[in-house]
Amino acid sequence: MTPHTLLAERRLPAEIDTMAELEAYLNAALRLEHATIPPYLTALYSLHPGANSDARHLIRVVAVEEMLHLTLVANVMNAVGLRVDLTADDFVPRYPAHLPSGEIDFLVSVQPFSQAAVTTFLNIERPAKAPNESSRLLPRPDLGAGTVLAASPIDPSRRFYSIGEFYEEIDRGLRHLDHLYRAEGRELFTGDVARQVTAEYFYSGGGEIVVVHDLASALKALELITEQGEGLGGGIYDGEGELSHYYRFQQLQLGHYYQQGDVPGRPSGPPLDVDFTAVYPVAIDAALADYPAGSPVREAAQRFNGTYGDFLAHLTAAYDGEPRKLLEAVPWMFRLRDDIEHLIRNPFPGRPGVHASPVFTRAPEERS
Amino acid sequence: MIFPEGAAARTDTTDVAGRVYDVVIVGAGISGAIIADRLSREGRSVLLLEAAPADDLTISGYETYLNRFYGTAMKDNQAPYPVLPPVPMPRSTDARPLPPGGGPNTGGYLVQDGPHSTDTTYTRVLGGTTLHWEAKILRMLPEDFELSRRYGQGLPWPLGYDELEPLYREAEREIGVSADIEDQRYLGLHYPPDYVYPMRGLPASFLDQTVAKGIDGTSIRVGDDEEIPIRVRPFPQGRNGIPNPAYDAGRGFTPVGAVSTHQVEEGGRCQGNNNCVPICPVQAKYHAGKTLARTLHRDVDLLAQAVAYKVHTDPENGRVTRIEYRRYQDPQSTAYETGFAQGRTYVLATNAIENARLMLASGLQDRADLIGRNLMDHAYLLTWARLPEVAGTMRGTNCTSGITDLRGGRFRRDRASFSIDIHNDGWGWATGAPVTDLLRIVDQDHQYGFGLRRSLVDQVSTQLLLAHMIEVLPDRDNRVTVDPRYRDELGNMRPVISFKVPDYTMRGAAFARDLSRQLFGKLGAEDHTGYDPAEYGYVEFGGDGYRILGGNHLAGTHVMGTSPATSVVDDHQRSWEHENLYLVGGGSMPTIGTANTTLTSTALCLRTAKHLIQELRRQDRPVTLATIGAR
Amino acid sequence: MILDDFVAFSSEVTGFTEFDLIGTGQAESYLRTVTEVVGERTLADLLDAYRARVTDTGDEQARAGQLTGAVLGDDRLGPIARNIIKLWYSGTWFALPDDWTGRFGAPGREGTFNASPQAYTQGLLWYAIGANPPGARAPGYGSWASPPLIPALPPSPVPQSVRTGS
Ligand SMILES: Cc1cc2nc3c(=O)[nH]c(=O)nc-3n(C[C@H](O)[C@H](O)[C@H](O)COP(=O)(O)OP(=O)(O)OC[C@H]3O[C@@H](n4cnc5c(N)ncnc54)[C@H](O)[C@@H]3O)c2cc1C
Ligand code: SF4
Repeated sequence: MTPHTLLAERRLPAEIDTMAELEAYLNAALRLEHATIPPYLTALYSLHPGANSDARHLIRVVAVEEMLHLTLVANVMNAVGLRVDLTADDFVPRYPAHLPSGEIDFLVSVQPFSQAAVTTFLNIERPAKAPNESSRLLPRPDLGAGTVLAASPIDPSRRFYSIGEFYEEIDRGLRHLDHLYRAEGRELFTGDVARQVTAEYFYSGGGEIVVVHDLASALKALELITEQGEGLGGGIYDGEGELSHYYRFQQLQLGHYYQQGDVPGRPSGPPLDVDFTAVYPVAIDAALADYPAGSPVREAAQRFNGTYGDFLAHLTAAYDGEPRKLLEAVPWMFRLRDDIEHLIRNPFPGRPGVHASPVFTRAPEERS
Repeated sequence: MIFPEGAAARTDTTDVAGRVYDVVIVGAGISGAIIADRLSREGRSVLLLEAAPADDLTISGYETYLNRFYGTAMKDNQAPYPVLPPVPMPRSTDARPLPPGGGPNTGGYLVQDGPHSTDTTYTRVLGGTTLHWEAKILRMLPEDFELSRRYGQGLPWPLGYDELEPLYREAEREIGVSADIEDQRYLGLHYPPDYVYPMRGLPASFLDQTVAKGIDGTSIRVGDDEEIPIRVRPFPQGRNGIPNPAYDAGRGFTPVGAVSTHQVEEGGRCQGNNNCVPICPVQAKYHAGKTLARTLHRDVDLLAQAVAYKVHTDPENGRVTRIEYRRYQDPQSTAYETGFAQGRTYVLATNAIENARLMLASGLQDRADLIGRNLMDHAYLLTWARLPEVAGTMRGTNCTSGITDLRGGRFRRDRASFSIDIHNDGWGWATGAPVTDLLRIVDQDHQYGFGLRRSLVDQVSTQLLLAHMIEVLPDRDNRVTVDPRYRDELGNMRPVISFKVPDYTMRGAAFARDLSRQLFGKLGAEDHTGYDPAEYGYVEFGGDGYRILGGNHLAGTHVMGTSPATSVVDDHQRSWEHENLYLVGGGSMPTIGTANTTLTSTALCLRTAKHLIQELRRQDRPVTLATIGAR
Repeated sequence: MILDDFVAFSSEVTGFTEFDLIGTGQAESYLRTVTEVVGERTLADLLDAYRARVTDTGDEQARAGQLTGAVLGDDRLGPIARNIIKLWYSGTWFALPDDWTGRFGAPGREGTFNASPQAYTQGLLWYAIGANPPGARAPGYGSWASPPLIPALPPSPVPQSVRTGS
């Protein structure tokens, strides 16, 4: 339990009190941002080509922006001199996995595009501010199976009310540490700017990368992450006028696009179509071991798994001093797209009516 | 870029009849869109009359173009766009060899009177030909504006590079150009000292790099007194790349992506689809719909499916009184109603061929008999060869680099200059590769399985095609006319094209052919070039045969100049004979040098827009009765 | 099942694995296309000839000989087999030669056409050379500056299902 420290700027209590604690939080943030990418990509590529244009564009944009979020977290880490590593064995969660949110009511799965998937996406991105200061951090009951992401990294018995509150904690922690460092005549933001990923190296479509070099830019990076997810101050758009992820997905349920001036829940723009049948029924949360040994599909799934690991290693290098490498990440993601599509169109051996699915979670070493 | 919902259908014939606009613009391509944009920004009321159908621009609407393209077996450069009886357009597949000395080919929309048969095209859809252009964005050289003074060739320009320079920059912003300024200082091209392009240059393709390794630094002997060193140089491109933070004195640049009625984040950066012509799937490439979407948020009426039929003038003073148009209800039928549009000023922006066609069909030939004459279009000569090693052909944008050193020089006294494109899509333009390679390998070489895969790599990934874009000078006899015998289904007279490739151009072509032999030699590449006399475009010159293909860079049919005796419009593209009429676009260019025409024609349109803003302001001021005239 | 046979045959003549072919998502559509043009009987004859004469031949040289003799070199089956290859590679069904239709009857559908808009986007022609069909399956900004990634050939030209006898 950390002592409550009052922040000079905002006088709010922070759990984060040391660099090690900040690191734990930022590592958790990396995992959190990454954990949504496999479910989004799988849903995206499960769409039959040529159908569901509206859904395709919506999910694609969100998936790419999750990559942006990952990159923003990496920039914050580099700015305070922390190292980024996406290659740990358990970096990719074992799906289904829990994300922190107000209610412990949903698991995130790698699954085909469906009503259920849309509901999950809404859950992931939902705007949720804790009703009061004391309910930001809640006791976390034992949830049994599945990985728990971004519970309080310092105190595993507690979890945050929502992703927004989780980032709020990092925000407070950064302010607090910055203040502490200053008081001691030290500088918190000592990272080499050459390690920062700039707009030249990463392009996401919506939302620009923030180069982090001081407290203000660090807070701005975090703000972009939460606003892109859930909107600015309860509105449907973020500070740059871009529709937030939550409301993007909500359009799929409500059948209309939002436009400027709309209020939440009442999109008044052009209609949009969703066809839940024009989807490959990919296996939900498949593990490598589920595929019959020696089958071509198993081999392909394994190959993909390895490639995905290489991709994360490549990203790690980009976030660890070689930002230029991020330029290759986009072509790489397009190749992953081709691999995923190939898998998804192949039937799951021995499971009639089910299609193969990419396996992102690192396979335990002993199996082959 | 958000397209205002409903804007495509908010105007109808009755609304138009009830209004006198500040400006009536015919044609919603880049030329019309930019003028509409600049004038509406000043609060001027604008009507855009557009021949093509126009639904609101949406991603799904755009994707119907894309699916039509995917679905057709014949992927010519109009493949994505609908064939509609009321608005026919030229199609390269309609070009046929003409019998020697005779007989027009009336099979396509363009009636081809020859002797040369061209496969040049333009597109009549909302946004015009920029939907399907390649978007290579070259400035003309300073010496291009002085061709007649320096080398005694072509018609004189009433303005020069320095007057156009700021407008070039403005056009580069509007189109969103990617290039590195360091690469673009050659042959006198100059910029303000701190200028950079809005976005950084697109990386050169692996194929470009392979060619560069083989030829950079080679010196070419041209004529007796000139030795020109050449190198592979990237082209400025009208497609989105990495924004340059130094642009606009450090304010940077925000690329404009796909257009739709709802928010989409697509097209902010080129993805290397290698399909810029005929359609960029993600709208990373500029098209005029981007300018239109912004413009239609203002007091701009767009009346689509309205084909301008006749320009009416007051016989007393020559002023245009109204535009008569034919409006069809159903794009599949040619039933129409007639409507009239009135404005204080009129702009024809339907492109060089259509502008001339409309004027001539309206009986408005100028006294100097220049409308429709001096038709220009770049002459393309293709040469192709197989490189000794895999160069990864068929990847990237259609073309990332080329050789531009022969765009200028003293040799222009007697032969045409040219610019060379290295085509990332291999021999496609010349032979239909890679599909024709597939057919040959399977059907004739009887390859299958691994053998087939290996042969494809050997025979396709090694392809190199050089496209020589050769200057064509104005010539009175190269022209657009109309003939009441040839009408389209809506009753509009079709353009009749008479064209001969000038000898000046052919001397350039002969030199280009020779040069490519030298270059292939240096690269160790096996020359596969061949021109078939039975195909259209075949030209014999100096005992050798060549094939000259259309450049799609139409110009010259209403040249600008300093006097009504020698030109149709003045340096603001204002008609000498019809005070309130502006003929805009490539048609005003007295020469075209070796720059794809659109950047220059857009700069000219920006100039016209500035002039019109002032002109309307001047007219608004209370002045003495004598100058108010009929209004 | 006819689809499995069709894919196995296609794998051998295209040089791509059955996994790759099914991975294009076009197998059913191509089977329908071929059946529509040449009829069930002729297609069955082709697949039977392949199964009877080629599948069990082990030695690579002999296998190629059998494939050429029994299928690709056959006046009736050869042009269809080659058209199947081209269909997988380009998404387009090319009109059968006139002398074929003269001898073996009018096809169920005339002319050259694309199996579907999506078929084009899955053409193997571009996979084979490490490129993308123009306008589809974009490779990403700047990818063109590096040498092409030309996919390796499968370990064996013999289709997996034929090897494992499934
Ligand atoms: C394959 C190809 C590649 C090209 N590549 C390049 C390049 O790389 N770089 C470059 O600079 N240029 C290029 N061009 C040329 C470029 O596209 C044109 O110069 C440019 O689009 C002309 O713009 P515009 O607005 O003047 O005319 P257009 O774009 O042709 O627009 C004219 C508009 O007027 C409408 N219209 C026509 N007739 C009527 C009528 N009677 N009534 C009402 N409306 C009418 C049309 O529907 C259209 O919307 C290329 C062209 C082609 C075909
Ligand atoms: S290469 Fe592609 S993405 Fe880039 S502009 Fe051309 S078609 Fe568009």
